[in-house]
Amino acid sequence: MPNRLDEVAEVFQSVEPETRLELLLDYSRKLPPLPARLTAQRDAGLHRVHECMTPVFLWVEAEGDKLRLWIDVAPESPTVAGMLAIVVAALDGGPIEAVKNLPLDLIQRLGLADVLRMNRAVGIGAILGRIKREAAALQPSPQSLTPNL
Amino acid sequence: MTQPYAHPESLVSTQWVDEHRGQTDLYRIVESDEDVLLYETGHVPEAVKIDWINDLNDPVVRDYIDNAKFAALCARHGIGNDTTVIFYGDKSNWWACYAFWVFRLMGHDNLKIMDGGRAKWMDEGRAMTTAKPNHPPATYQVTHPRRGIRAFRDDVLRHVRAGRPLVDVRSMEEFTGKLTHMPDYPQEGVLRGGHIPGAKSCPWMRAVNPDGTFKSRAELEAIYQGELGLKILDDVVAYCRIGERSSHTWFVLTHLLGFDTVRNYDGSWTEWGNAVGMPIEKG
Repeated sequence: MPNRLDEVAEVFQSVEPETRLELLLDYSRKLPPLPARLTAQRDAGLHRVHECMTPVFLWVEAEGDKLRLWIDVAPESPTVAGMLAIVVAALDGGPIEAVKNLPLDLIQRLGLADVLRMNRAVGIGAILGRIKREAAALQPSPQSLTPNL
Repeated sequence: MTQPYAHPESLVSTQWVDEHRGQTDLYRIVESDEDVLLYETGHVPEAVKIDWINDLNDPVVRDYIDNAKFAALCARHGIGNDTTVIFYGDKSNWWACYAFWVFRLMGHDNLKIMDGGRAKWMDEGRAMTTAKPNHPPATYQVTHPRRGIRAFRDDVLRHVRAGRPLVDVRSMEEFTGKLTHMPDYPQEGVLRGGHIPGAKSCPWMRAVNPDGTFKSRAELEAIYQGELGLKILDDVVAYCRIGERSSHTWFVLTHLLGFDTVRNYDGSWTEWGNAVGMPIEKG
């Protein structure tokens, strides 16, 4: 598991399950908004992760040799938004190879399996798998895709 | 004139809830969602949260909480035996109907659903808050559980052999057996795909309008009595994957259409499709 995810997991594991949910709620508010160039694609229904019952839109891109992750989650799904905000905080802007170590069982590592149960975990595992597959297929890009940041 | 539902008192509008939400001594508004954190992002003022997993299911055994835990849950939220409980939630009241069914199973009498659920309340720009209400605790006793609205596996097997009607409310892919689990999550799945022999497919979503409200009685009759051929006096079993979506259909059949004998098989496909020797139909 990438170091930053290790650190987050350690914090989650060190507190009571109820507090883990509060931490997750905090993260859910931190998912960065989509850049303007991607909102039109989302509104056209492109880049949706269909394995997930929750509407989730995902872009996995290379910016030079860095990984860029853009994820949009419906406001009705703070649990999914929180999980993915943790992934974005850990991997976005870092080396593309780091994705290899992204664990599909992140929910278990964060100690959230009991409070979320498997039903809720379904979609999240699907999204993590998709991030890994798409990142594995990325070619480093020479120019920045987000010059207006 | 529109034909009223069979039990119109079991459904209230967002407007009604807005007007009565201050009467916390008579009514308890309960939000029940799929997402365990959704309530925390904002809810109807005075509403409490009841989570389908952490509050209503036993943490160890695959079953609902027992009478004592249910009584404690109600008491904690200031729900007495006479309190009218009004449920609403996400996804067209999918989980609100599930909580409604569990409350009925435990014998609570006065229950309502807020038509249109959380999405309609928000679309109408009604008040939302993140402040948790603090209702004085109540005393509660489980006095007359209604076990008759629940079917177990052996009941369903007898039901199939007797040729009685079953409604499978899952998606068509799940019904035909094309889909047994979600990609990347094989452990979530069921070993066998298909449906219980004789079951008719009617995905639960067909009972709701795009704004999350229930369809009219005439529209519902056209689906359940017309297309599926169910009769009001039939002994019906509804099921899905774990009994949540079928609670929604159970509510439609019993409270909106007036069926007397409908049981929810909460073991549903995750039990049937994994159990040894159960008859299965595909396609």
